[in-house]
Amino acid sequence: MGLARTLTARAITLIAVLILVVLMVVTVLGATGMSDKLLGAIVDERLRAERQSLSQSIRDPDELNRVMEARKLELTRLYGLDVPWYLRLPQMAYRVLALDLGNARALKSFKGSRVISDIVLERLPNTLLLMTSAIAISAVLGLVVGVKIGTHPGTRKDRGLSYFSAISFALPTWWTGILLILICAYSFQMAFGFKLFPAGGMYSSPPPTDPWLRVVDVAYHAALPVITLVVALVGSYTYTARTIVLNVAQEDFVTVARAKGVPEGIVERRYIMRVAAPPILTNIIIGLAGSIGGAILTEAVFNWPGMGTLYYQAILQMDEAVIIALTYIFTLVYVAGRFILEVLYIVLDPRVRY
Amino acid sequence: MSVRFREAWSEFWVSGVSKLGVAFLIALSAISIYVLASYPLDFGLRFWNNPPIWSDNPKASPPVWTSSFVGESLVEHKTFLATEPANVTESVQSRTLTYEFSIDYGYDDFPSFTSFSISNTTFYSRAPQFTLVFERPDNATLNLLREVAPAKRSEEEPPVTRWAAPPRRVYLTGDDRVASAISSFLTRNFKLKLSRDQIINMHPEVPLFGLPEEENKTLSWKVLKGLYRIRVEAQLFDPRDTVGEIKYVLGGSVFGTMGTDSLGRDLAVGLLFGFPVALFIGFVTSTLTTVIGAAGGVASGYLGGKVDLLIQRAADIVYNVPLLPILIFFTFAVGHGLWVIVVVLVAFGWPGLAIIVRSMVLQVRESQFIEAARSLGASRRWIMFRHVFPQVAPFVFSQLIFYTPSAILSEAALSFLGLGDPSIPTWGQILQLGFQSGGVYVGWWWWIVPPGLLIVVTAVTFVFLALGMEPVVNPRLRRMR
Repeated sequence: MGLARTLTARAITLIAVLILVVLMVVTVLGATGMSDKLLGAIVDERLRAERQSLSQSIRDPDELNRVMEARKLELTRLYGLDVPWYLRLPQMAYRVLALDLGNARALKSFKGSRVISDIVLERLPNTLLLMTSAIAISAVLGLVVGVKIGTHPGTRKDRGLSYFSAISFALPTWWTGILLILICAYSFQMAFGFKLFPAGGMYSSPPPTDPWLRVVDVAYHAALPVITLVVALVGSYTYTARTIVLNVAQEDFVTVARAKGVPEGIVERRYIMRVAAPPILTNIIIGLAGSIGGAILTEAVFNWPGMGTLYYQAILQMDEAVIIALTYIFTLVYVAGRFILEVLYIVLDPRVRY
Repeated sequence: MSVRFREAWSEFWVSGVSKLGVAFLIALSAISIYVLASYPLDFGLRFWNNPPIWSDNPKASPPVWTSSFVGESLVEHKTFLATEPANVTESVQSRTLTYEFSIDYGYDDFPSFTSFSISNTTFYSRAPQFTLVFERPDNATLNLLREVAPAKRSEEEPPVTRWAAPPRRVYLTGDDRVASAISSFLTRNFKLKLSRDQIINMHPEVPLFGLPEEENKTLSWKVLKGLYRIRVEAQLFDPRDTVGEIKYVLGGSVFGTMGTDSLGRDLAVGLLFGFPVALFIGFVTSTLTTVIGAAGGVASGYLGGKVDLLIQRAADIVYNVPLLPILIFFTFAVGHGLWVIVVVLVAFGWPGLAIIVRSMVLQVRESQFIEAARSLGASRRWIMFRHVFPQVAPFVFSQLIFYTPSAILSEAALSFLGLGDPSIPTWGQILQLGFQSGGVYVGWWWWIVPPGLLIVVTAVTFVFLALGMEPVVNPRLRRMR
């Protein structure tokens, strides 16, 4: 009962987030005149296609022009280009939600399609692969290191951690990535004649045909971007874990366990870590938006063929339809990820019924 | 109040991070004040994004101090300027001003280019004539070039000014006259026959600053070290004629303390300008964010009811919006202005604080001194300002510090994606250009490492301050340290 209510409440908030973002996007699009441009381009594209097919059946050019003129009026009305932008809001919102935004101006999908949804959706798995592996590695590292250090507060390692987490927070993710390229790719190339890790991309060219080698190849290419994201994330994860552990380690049940003579390893794993895990998850939940931002920038630096790199390319090419689609999809990814983590949190921490 | 402040300060000052943070903050502020005092406010448009100003500088050159790593002495970029002649000789109908630059050339390499410019000469009758004389350590003397100012047109009234803006600039490295002067010099002194084109292709600076060596019929050049003198003789034909400024540029392969970018811009100048900009973005954004967040939190917690519900629902939703995609969209759609970034950061930054402050206020609200104030008939606004807010003020202040780096980092991230404000150079933009021009793959580290490092140092300053403030704000942490 409580569980269902909690989850429903979260779901409603998250859906409201999605609606807010979409509304904001279409309002800005309308107010800046961008939606007129966008819909105008879609209408022109359709007219061109229809003209081509009609020119087969209608031979007389005057007749063709007249038919096309009528068709143009029809389409203008259909797309709402004859009314002010605010009356078009619901239609525009639906378009964004359904990713029906026409064609990209210059960008293409890997298979050569110019349809926005094709371009964006085929890159989604690559982004998810990068993000989930980085978050998972950071969470495990944060938990293990946090417990190790949190049980020994005030030591030199503890102070070192607080400095590291401060710097990790202050490091721009993308700059870390650039530095890693400079060190692992460029300097190695100069000093030893080979690159420790590739500077970018996702596959070698040509990619290996054997499926296992392909996995290895992707992992090899993903190493630097994942390290970059982990460096950015692990500081705050570890610091939170350490602070939580510090509080838990002073609890009576831990003292009792130690007094009973429970080995230190078991105390750490079963008594402390179990309690510290949910707050780490909280930290992941809170930091998810930031991780998405980090992933966008990291991809752009490493030319990882995901949605972040697409963002970067779309900005350079001024492709507004792609940017709208990406803003929406990233929000969608965030909302979905957030909901999954909330469910996971409830599974992990039975005390939580809010 | 002052006792409380002194206690808090001593609690703050104990930890090492606080001291480091304060030291960094003082350094950052001092540099920013220096920059604000010495740079024009429209520096970005008038200087930084104005390529002609930087045309005399070498492109993508590392800093001077790198030549000590390389092991050989690389040519340092130098600009020689003279406004006053070293020597004046008078004759019957003319006056000759001699400007002199001496270069103690001890480098192991040839200059990458040389250029020469004359600015702002005024004359009354005959146009002044300029001769560029080059004197080598081996006492050979070359007349490299002769320039005459365009003559007075009939409709012009004296005094006539020439080459005021832009100055007359001669790129000696690609100049035919220089090449033919060198060609005849080589024939005369070394019995070498090289055509003008050959000299321009090999760069005229090579024979000019070198000695030929012939071995097995292949010609090579060795740097001739020693004292070079560059003399500019200006012949004026009226006592009232003047010459503004003479400039000679020895194009090096290393430049200044921070090097240059691919447009020849002095990176030290751009990086310095980034200090006040970063602090400004950080402070303005975090102040607005905390003011709105704290006000929302206090109102929400103290007033309760519908206001609370409204603020908390709004905060909950806004708090969950992923920031970077929204920032990208807004700056792309609305414009690349700095204020767009600040407004979006504030609009989506306040809820975190509002939620925490509310929960703190809920506890404060139940305490007796609030009840006392209420029973004395104090208004709600008075209580919120004078009694509730002071209770959460230390925490709010620590959050103000804590938000500062995230604003700086967000601006840098947007700049890196190419959405920075083009009229205001920032560290993020310098880095973005360095990355976009492929600097990572060819190792232009002096262009890429410093701006990032400065962002990190600035952000770390505020994180350290916030960390140092933690035990003051959260007394529970005091025991644990």
